[in-house]
Amino acid sequence: MFRTEEMDINMGPQHPSTHGVLRLKLTLEGEVISDIRPVIGYLHRGVEKLCEHRTYPMIEPLTDRLDYVAAISENLGYCGAVEKLMGVQVPPRAQYIRVILAELQRVASHLLWLGTHALDLGAMTVFFYTFRERELILDLFEAFCGARLTYNSMRIGGLYEDVPAGWFDRVRHFIDIFPSREKEYEDLLTVNRIFKGRTVGVGILKPEDGIALGVSGPTLRASGVNYDVRVAQPYSSYEQFQFDVPLGANGDTYDRYLVRMEEMRQSCRIIRQALERMPQGEVRAKVPKYIKPPAGEVYHVVESPRGEQGFYIVQVAGEMPYRMRFRAPSFVNLQALPTMCKGQMIADVVAVIGSIDIVLGDCDR
Amino acid sequence: MTEMAKDGGARSGGRRAPDLRDLARQFLLLELWVGLWVTLKNQFRPHITVEYPKETVELSPRFRGVPRLRFHPETSEELCIACHLCETVCPDDCIHIVSEKKPDGKGKRLVSFEINYERCCFCGLCVDPCPTKPLTAIYMSHDYELADYQRTGFVAPLKHLLDGSDPTEYKE
Repeated sequence: MFRTEEMDINMGPQHPSTHGVLRLKLTLEGEVISDIRPVIGYLHRGVEKLCEHRTYPMIEPLTDRLDYVAAISENLGYCGAVEKLMGVQVPPRAQYIRVILAELQRVASHLLWLGTHALDLGAMTVFFYTFRERELILDLFEAFCGARLTYNSMRIGGLYEDVPAGWFDRVRHFIDIFPSREKEYEDLLTVNRIFKGRTVGVGILKPEDGIALGVSGPTLRASGVNYDVRVAQPYSSYEQFQFDVPLGANGDTYDRYLVRMEEMRQSCRIIRQALERMPQGEVRAKVPKYIKPPAGEVYHVVESPRGEQGFYIVQVAGEMPYRMRFRAPSFVNLQALPTMCKGQMIADVVAVIGSIDIVLGDCDR
Repeated sequence: MTEMAKDGGARSGGRRAPDLRDLARQFLLLELWVGLWVTLKNQFRPHITVEYPKETVELSPRFRGVPRLRFHPETSEELCIACHLCETVCPDDCIHIVSEKKPDGKGKRLVSFEINYERCCFCGLCVDPCPTKPLTAIYMSHDYELADYQRTGFVAPLKHLLDGSDPTEYKE
């Protein structure tokens, strides 16, 4: 009469803590997870196919909509890939401004992650504070390129135009005040016993598992694997900046939190160096009006806030790519979710999803 | 490698045996008081919320609202030379231009110029190749309140693009 059996439940696709439209099929034994299968594709828009029918400059607004939380990283990766294919040398000033933009975007993306992750775990206050600082960054982006979310901030060969007057001072002001603000989040969370109770030892990813699954970005570095594309394959003159790659020790949710917090500090360090050594000159290389890259294929990776963001282009002839492929860090990192979650309690799934920091627009493309 | 890696995740585990200080800290809820001090400080900071319909934020000069056309600021002639470049580069096919030869035979002039705001993604790519100098004929305006009751209201004809469209009256 009394028997125990495994129970299947669906989490999502309409669930606030899945950060988008992600559906998880959980197999539960009591409250312990014995299996978990992510079901993705609810936000699939066929961007790769769309790219085959658009000229190269037209694709850039599409890349904004992949990882809409960190659109500038996508712009940077896409423009870098086309520039590599065409053999265009981007002027140094444009490279430095791109670095500043990409690092500001990393801070903004991590702030959004921090706010929502803390919100998932019940700490509502942090959400308001992080969005207050994120707003300052979005204002900077608005002053630079005119948009607040889908920036379309770069052009193939450099930038559309130079920064407006006084923009560097505003960036400097932001990185001056930001460390004290970040200390506030740390005061709220790092030592907080509720937060630690929800995160320490939860969702452990072993380094060998992380490498085998192809995980990248802060999620991998929290497991102690020292791999950062900015250091391993520098692009946009990242080799000229000194910064540390923060590493975690245990690979749990708390370590992923610490790594991202440290990354924000390192981003400020990079921005400060870029501001000090900002070269003068042009911001746009000479590229033809109708961009027709030579036939060939190219793969270009950048370190987006979520991990290794790759762009693969096959060019045969004409103004449109023959094939376009994105290596989406969210998609790959999500595959580590079952490994992290097995044997955990059902409430920990929320913490673990938050700590991988997925964006479903990036995952489903 | 940063401090965090050096101390072997000591911050991230609390795996060492608790000493008297840790016990005292736990008993006095010190870590919670630290957080409450942060929230208390924020009570005295100025408000940053903007009550949107009543007040609006100041837009930066480069803000990309809906694309519009403009007249020459001095001679108030139409700047557009009907070169179809913005129509060509638009990634959303939202611009539709009909042009005709000028009566004197030199160049072309606009017959109609339509932008479908339903399709427009405000990327600003149409402004990039516009050949009129020094002012581009098409520009990203600062209009962003686009709601309408009918879909036809989103297809802006030449007159609206030049003079600005009438704001929609909101009904209860």
